[in-house]
Amino acid sequence: MRMLTRIAAGLALSALGLLALAEPGAAQEAAASASRDYGEFPYVGARVAVWVAAQVHLMFAAFVLGVPMFAVVVEAVGIFTDDERYDRLAKEFTRLLLIAYSATAMWGAVLVFFLTTLYPTFWTHLSEIFEVSMWIYVGLFFVESFTLYLYYYGWDRWKAGRAKWGHWGLGLLLNVWGTAVMFIADSWLSYMMSPPASVTPTTPASEIDLFVALTNATWMPINIHRLIANVVFGGAVVGGYAAYRFLAAKTEEERAHYDWMGYVGNFIAIGALIILPFAGYWLGREIYEFNQQMGITMMGGFMSWLWIVQAFLIGVLFLAGNYYLWTGMDRIPGAERFRPYIKWMLLVLVLGVIVWATPRTMIADRAELAAMGGTHHPFLGVLGVMSAKNTAVNLMILTTFLSFMMYRRANKRPTVAWARTGTIVQGALLGIAALVVLFYGVYGYFVEAIVRIGFSVYQVIAVLAALVVVLALDIAMMRGAESRGAIQWGRMPERSQYALFILVVTFTWLMGLMGFARSGIRQHWHIFEVMRDTSAHAATPALGEAAQVITACVLIFLGLIAFIFWLGGLVEKPALVPEKAETSRPPSGALSPEPGG
Amino acid sequence: MWQTNLKVLSVVLVTVALYTGVANWIPQVESAPPEELSFTGDVSAEELVAAGEELFLGAGGCAACHGSGTRAPNLRTSEDDLGTIGERCDDRVSGEDCKTYLHESLVNPTAYVVEGYGAIMPDASRTLSPAQIWSLVAYLQSLGGEVTVTGADIQAEPGAGGAEAGEAAAASPLIAGGSTDPMEILEAGTCLACHALDGQGGPIGPPLDGIGARRDAAHIRRSILDPSADTTEGYENVAGTMPPNFGQQMSAAQLEAVVRFLAEEEGG
Repeated sequence: MRMLTRIAAGLALSALGLLALAEPGAAQEAAASASRDYGEFPYVGARVAVWVAAQVHLMFAAFVLGVPMFAVVVEAVGIFTDDERYDRLAKEFTRLLLIAYSATAMWGAVLVFFLTTLYPTFWTHLSEIFEVSMWIYVGLFFVESFTLYLYYYGWDRWKAGRAKWGHWGLGLLLNVWGTAVMFIADSWLSYMMSPPASVTPTTPASEIDLFVALTNATWMPINIHRLIANVVFGGAVVGGYAAYRFLAAKTEEERAHYDWMGYVGNFIAIGALIILPFAGYWLGREIYEFNQQMGITMMGGFMSWLWIVQAFLIGVLFLAGNYYLWTGMDRIPGAERFRPYIKWMLLVLVLGVIVWATPRTMIADRAELAAMGGTHHPFLGVLGVMSAKNTAVNLMILTTFLSFMMYRRANKRPTVAWARTGTIVQGALLGIAALVVLFYGVYGYFVEAIVRIGFSVYQVIAVLAALVVVLALDIAMMRGAESRGAIQWGRMPERSQYALFILVVTFTWLMGLMGFARSGIRQHWHIFEVMRDTSAHAATPALGEAAQVITACVLIFLGLIAFIFWLGGLVEKPALVPEKAETSRPPSGALSPEPGG
Repeated sequence: MWQTNLKVLSVVLVTVALYTGVANWIPQVESAPPEELSFTGDVSAEELVAAGEELFLGAGGCAACHGSGTRAPNLRTSEDDLGTIGERCDDRVSGEDCKTYLHESLVNPTAYVVEGYGAIMPDASRTLSPAQIWSLVAYLQSLGGEVTVTGADIQAEPGAGGAEAGEAAAASPLIAGGSTDPMEILEAGTCLACHALDGQGGPIGPPLDGIGARRDAAHIRRSILDPSADTTEGYENVAGTMPPNFGQQMSAAQLEAVVRFLAEEEGG
């Protein structure tokens, strides 16, 4: 009974959350009049309560911000190619958003209530600086929600001609509002990480300029990193949804549709993942430039082992993503010519993961230290440095890109006169990029650390340049290409779908881990070097404890999103590919590996 | 369908369990906030040094840079043969004594940037209280020099003072409970597991019998604080075996007691 009362109270509070968001002034007054700095939450404590609320809110937010970005692209592909299947796919993506929006708002409200009740002094400080942006945030949230409703419910009404372009414009606006909402929220959390240098512990909040606080050192790098990560996350969740629907499909048509949807989701997730590390580099550099000590805490201090776990997770992502592609090649006529290369690509990926996940400094007992001859293992210690790790990850990116290229070209036969030359140039570019990466990786061992750090930039430039030029060449080369046969959508082994589940679970867990890293580097500061956390929960927990909270967040999110999708399925069945003949005819356009037309 | 649901659920649970397991399997390090210190005017040098040492090695975050020797000067070991920080601080700035120089370097770190290093150190007064900063100064002085910081320095700071010595100093987890008896320290620190002395101990590392005749006090101190700095001939195969953190487990007084004891151990 007590539990039921608590749940009922929680739901009531959640429902009132938007009202609280709409009146931050009232919340501020309430906080200001509080006679205590901290509240306490039963069982798990205030820190974990806020942590879970914030993390689950962010997971939903990433989903509802990421999906519209590619939904609008897929809709545009449908308009340009006049292929209605893309339009239906974009609509199905958007359908997934509707109920997820409510969950995002509810968890946002839970977070606000937790902050006002558990951290009243901190919340007063934050709302005093950011009150205007909080009002704008609420306004934008309403506008965004109603734009989504118009976008989804107007889909069939504004289906053709100019009206269709107007509808597409709504999708674009949805992204504009969503991005603005995210940028505003990012300013609050990035201010906590990197407040302007002019702000000290004695600076009254009323004297802190909103614009200066908003445009702090890590604001824009976090914005860009999150924009890309949201696309990755949205793609992975859509892939997981499609995988479930594939496994549950009762007809060939359904299976073909969800096979294709899963492919698109995976394509989006892995494609965006490839560029995500570059945004991560920028964020990391800005953190170092803002405060060296914070950067050192992040990479070389108590959080250094977190990056070993991150390497393990990203290794799983690369392996699962590539496995899905390789398995999918079984349903593409002509792909068999690439099969002999797969084992070598797998070898590169596995070696890359092993190197990336190698720790530099080993925690060992006396006997182990004696056996190793020091704190650094004579062989593994060499692999644990950034020269080796950067080389490994860049080669893994090139290998994954190669998998995409093979998948993309599997059933195509180029007809342009320069096809052979073009293929040789493509191979040479990838080879040169790999050599540049290897060269700087090895050379890094012979120069000082300060010089070595700069080498990662050359490696990244070489890889990015190869990716862009090779893909551009391929698009040009495959214009008017002959088909070696249609992709047999739906003829995918069931085990491949479990790779998509592993991807979505891993992306979600990784998001939680990175959330801990970003927030944890502030250590015992609510606002770094401005407002100290003097609560009983000020200590930043070790990774093991953090992992348990992250796992709880992941299970809450996945459980809720599964429930939401199930609910969505009760309301409306998506329109699938109607004609049986189409099930073996692949969709055309940019997202398909099939020749256009 | 239930079979599919169960399979999917199993994949999800096994995956998150694996990640949670990996995160729990690696070394666990918590970041605790620095404990507040409050000292009376008659606080002893030992109390200040102990509190400063704990800050330096722990929540103060100093050791992350001032121990690796690449980001910032080593303070606990000799830098450019000038000795540890306590030995060299008096000569760093002409006309400025060690205490003033160290305090200035903590609260105004760009004032004296050591050649060859970047100006990356943050202003300690943004994160630490005056009592914490002065205890750090005392600790750094104790590394080869004389501790001249007193309670009066702390009391002179605006808003400083207090009744009792900080809990950090009291709760310091030192070898042998902070005892300055050198034999107790050597035994509690398991030094004799590898080094032979007076018929006790193992043969893994160089014997301590007669060490004072072969090495001076500075060399012994360096060997404890930075065991990989020198390798005794004939023991190259076990170089790096000695844990580098003994210095972190002893107070300055304990370290000096052991150094003195071993320097006087001339055998015969």
